[in-house]
Amino acid sequence: MVDYLAILPEIALLVLAAILLLVDIRLKEEGKDTLNWIALFGLVITFVLTILLAQPGEEEVIWGGMLRHDWMAFVFRLVFIAGAAFTVVFSRGWEAIGDRGEFYGLLVLSTLGMTLMGAAGDLVMLLLAIETASIPLYIMAGFSTKDGKSAEAGFKYLLFGAMTSAVMMYGFSLLFGFGGTTDIYALADAIAAGNVPTLPLMTSIILVLVGFGFKISMFPFHFWSPDVYEGAPTPVTGFLSTASKAAGFAVLVRVMLVAFPSVTVEWQTLLAILSAITMTVGNLVALRQTNIKRMLAYSSIGHAGYILMGVAAASSLGVISVVYYIAAYLLTNLAAFGFVAIYYKQTGSDEIEDYAGFSRRSPGLAFAMLFTFLSLGGIPPLGGFFGKLLVFSAAIQADMVWLAVVGVLNAVIALYYYLTVIKFVYLRRQEGDEVPFPVAKSQSLAIIICVLGVTFLGVIMAPMFELAQKVASSFF
Amino acid sequence: MDFILEPLNLVTFFPLVGVLLLLLLKNEQKKIARWVALVTALVTFGISLWVLSMFDASNPGLQFMIEEDWIQVAGWKIKYALGMDGISILLVLLTTFLTPIAILSTWKAIDEKVRDFQLFFLLLEMGMLGVFLAQDLFLFYVFWEFTLVPMYFLIGIWGGEKRMYAAIKFFLYTMAGSILMLLAILWLGIRQGTFFLPELIAKGGIPADVQFWLFLAFAAAFAIKVPMWPLHSWLPDAHVQAPTAGSVILAGVLLKMGTYGFVRFNLPLFPEAAVQLAPTMALLAVIGILYGAAVSYSQTDVKKLVAYSSVSHLGFVILGIFALNEQGIAGGILQMVNHGISTGALFLLIGFIYERRHTRDFDQFGGLWKVVPVYAVITLIVSLSSMGLPGLNGFVGEFAILLGAWGAGTAGGPLGTPLFAAFAAAGVILAAVYILFMFQKMFLGPITVEENKNIKDLNWRELLVIVPLLVFIFWIGLYPKPFFDLIGPSVSHLVEMLPTAVSTVLH
Amino acid sequence: MIPLSNYLIVAAGLFSIGLYAVLARKNAIMILMGIELMLNAVNINLVAFWRYLTPENVSGQVFAAMVFVVAAAEVAVGIALIMTVYRRRDTVSADEINLMKW
Repeated sequence: MVDYLAILPEIALLVLAAILLLVDIRLKEEGKDTLNWIALFGLVITFVLTILLAQPGEEEVIWGGMLRHDWMAFVFRLVFIAGAAFTVVFSRGWEAIGDRGEFYGLLVLSTLGMTLMGAAGDLVMLLLAIETASIPLYIMAGFSTKDGKSAEAGFKYLLFGAMTSAVMMYGFSLLFGFGGTTDIYALADAIAAGNVPTLPLMTSIILVLVGFGFKISMFPFHFWSPDVYEGAPTPVTGFLSTASKAAGFAVLVRVMLVAFPSVTVEWQTLLAILSAITMTVGNLVALRQTNIKRMLAYSSIGHAGYILMGVAAASSLGVISVVYYIAAYLLTNLAAFGFVAIYYKQTGSDEIEDYAGFSRRSPGLAFAMLFTFLSLGGIPPLGGFFGKLLVFSAAIQADMVWLAVVGVLNAVIALYYYLTVIKFVYLRRQEGDEVPFPVAKSQSLAIIICVLGVTFLGVIMAPMFELAQKVASSFF
Repeated sequence: MDFILEPLNLVTFFPLVGVLLLLLLKNEQKKIARWVALVTALVTFGISLWVLSMFDASNPGLQFMIEEDWIQVAGWKIKYALGMDGISILLVLLTTFLTPIAILSTWKAIDEKVRDFQLFFLLLEMGMLGVFLAQDLFLFYVFWEFTLVPMYFLIGIWGGEKRMYAAIKFFLYTMAGSILMLLAILWLGIRQGTFFLPELIAKGGIPADVQFWLFLAFAAAFAIKVPMWPLHSWLPDAHVQAPTAGSVILAGVLLKMGTYGFVRFNLPLFPEAAVQLAPTMALLAVIGILYGAAVSYSQTDVKKLVAYSSVSHLGFVILGIFALNEQGIAGGILQMVNHGISTGALFLLIGFIYERRHTRDFDQFGGLWKVVPVYAVITLIVSLSSMGLPGLNGFVGEFAILLGAWGAGTAGGPLGTPLFAAFAAAGVILAAVYILFMFQKMFLGPITVEENKNIKDLNWRELLVIVPLLVFIFWIGLYPKPFFDLIGPSVSHLVEMLPTAVSTVLH
Repeated sequence: MIPLSNYLIVAAGLFSIGLYAVLARKNAIMILMGIELMLNAVNINLVAFWRYLTPENVSGQVFAAMVFVVAAAEVAVGIALIMTVYRRRDTVSADEINLMKW
């Protein structure tokens, strides 16, 4: 019974996807935006069900070790489902997407894959989960077939994704071969017992990191993300940059901490260096961007670098910081791409310059945007600040002060380009900026929720912190 | 309810009441917005006076302490802690005193987006008060960073021509320093197990070499804020571009957050490093004094001149603090207040003339004495106070600082040589040169520019703005005892914590 | 009997050829085929390891079957995406598909 309750969210998502596809067939063209509501309510119900019924209990190992029913899986489930729900809201009315049943179906299936990624405790399951999450994303990125950029984004995303996942699978096959098991928890014992020679072990860790690195857009596997983020329909970009990235981190944290504790020092150093390079590259290149989606793409590479810092700490505080950062980052980045989507739908532009005078057109939205970008920049008292704080603390605690210093310098660079956006929104003017800016109610509500959430995470940290602590307790 | 009514909570967060009221207004309701802001600021000032009346000057410790657990999980001990002692009380009063004055000065000058302006102004006040009262490093940092946002907008929206450049430069410059401080704060919080300042001080025991780095990390944030030479380049831009009220608060209070930080955190937390680094800091301070004075002299824009003179004046404050003895630190703290009053007044006066002539260039003035006598007399008094004429407030602070620096310069003292005091004294003379130069250019001689003949003298509102400052210029100048009485006990308590410094004072 | 290492070497060679194709080839179809080669290498590894090391446990076989599934799904989606790009741009060369800079 526990087995079934534990995967209740997954079952609910599957049912939802099926409903969406079936209803789509029956609906007439005019009534297609009902699909949006169905998807939204379905996800909200799943979210509530997860909280009420699928909380981790005594039994952690379910489905013969394929899945883990722990706080890690639980928290990340909520993250993914919330991310999907916001994405649904921002997709509303988006051309060639907002009224397509298969789009919502793919979104939900991808979410299903991610929830399994967060819970997978076995290499086979992990492989399936990653692909279940990724393949729908390839299609979603290239969904606007009429838009050349979108098709190109999907195409590039697929080629890069398939390549890196093939490399990762090769790593999996080596791990299976040398460890003699596909269960990542049992793998740890095999490695600790010294059954795996060092060279194959290190090789397979690096191969596996290629796949994970792609998902979280870690240097040097980040090349795809600016193009894909720019080309993909903006709601999809929001989903890619938050939920998909979070899923990558969930897997990274679990596999690294569970399977390879006996070589912690080695991968820790590797990840610390990659973290430093990732954030520096992301932030420096972001400085020069004029397209807001590309800028946010590079900025999200920078954020991946910060979160990696928490992973590299390989400590309880490190995991806490990863979870907290991801929670805050989810809300802020979803809101950020939400603005971009809303703005694009109205003006047809993604150029930062065209945001001039936005604060006059929609003071409320501009104010929310200010909050969001300040949180991304790590200004107190917002969630992004506390996330950064925890990540830096984790690095300091793990005796990696140099990494914290790199992080701090990066935070200043990042602030510069966030301020640039705010500069255009608030301080510049352009013609026609007296015209009010219409925003759909559901979308402004979603943004309000994001902004309130971010503020909450910055002022009253204790609840989320305790949750993150529970996640950490499943590893330490 | 009791928690809200704690005196310090009331002082810090009362401006929020005004903010909430302002949020209900529209930008078009200019008059109401101004009045709401002014009344809020005045009530805040009133509350701070009430706190002052309850303040026990003989007690060197923290008073009105509020201590609540904020985040207490997984080895993190962050408290919501506010407290006030002799070091902070004058700065709190300065903040609550200057804010209504600055708001009143915007009555005519700010006519666009009035509500937003006042809103940011009150938020800024809240942030500054929080900085001066916070007794938990984490809370302090939150307030410290928070002040950046409203100031960014004050400069960026209502500033001069190059306002965006100035605003972003201001933000990034200060952020760069403070984020290094954040690292040091985190290090302390994690390694020492608490962020609560009194607990950290009591615990001590940080090895000297670590203290050195932590001191530098904190100093980076504070030195940029002060700003100390060579980190001052954001200041002239910010001042010149900021609206008058913004300049007043920037010079009057925001810069003091840096010098305050040195006294509050660097000295007691890292006493050994403070002693070790005192000569370096004093050297930078003296360079700042001389450099600021020299550069002031070559300016043609009055506002820029005053901005650079701030670098010079705050050099004195830093010198006083790092004399590490009672006279020096007490003089430094009083000088923070003096500088706030005099420079604040100077910026107000520049603002008045700018509103009339829309220029700040020396060449555009000359002979104003005959046209606007009241304005000229007031400017003369403020200028004299700024250059440290005996009988006015500037003298008292600078004299105490020089005494302190001289004392610290005796053999075995933390500064080691009296040269610092000597060069700083030369700075006083230079100050006289550039200030009198400015005065002569603007007010004496014949009227050269036609438009200047019809300038109106100060009106009642402007007098109302400037006269309270004059009162304090004379009061502190003639009878500084009550002010020193407030500062004294806390400072001697602080000096006792500096092991080496105490022995030198006794010599 | 052929030792395990021979299988692994063949797989490694196949993987390298596939990786080379992915990195060096311009034609999108060829890149996809390279990826297929890499996945085949994975399968050879999995089956060989299973047969030699853990024949009593089916997980290796299951793993290999799953890789087939994944490969098939990726190719299906991949061809479809290449088709859309081809329809719009009349090319399947990765070089020429560059509306955005890499």
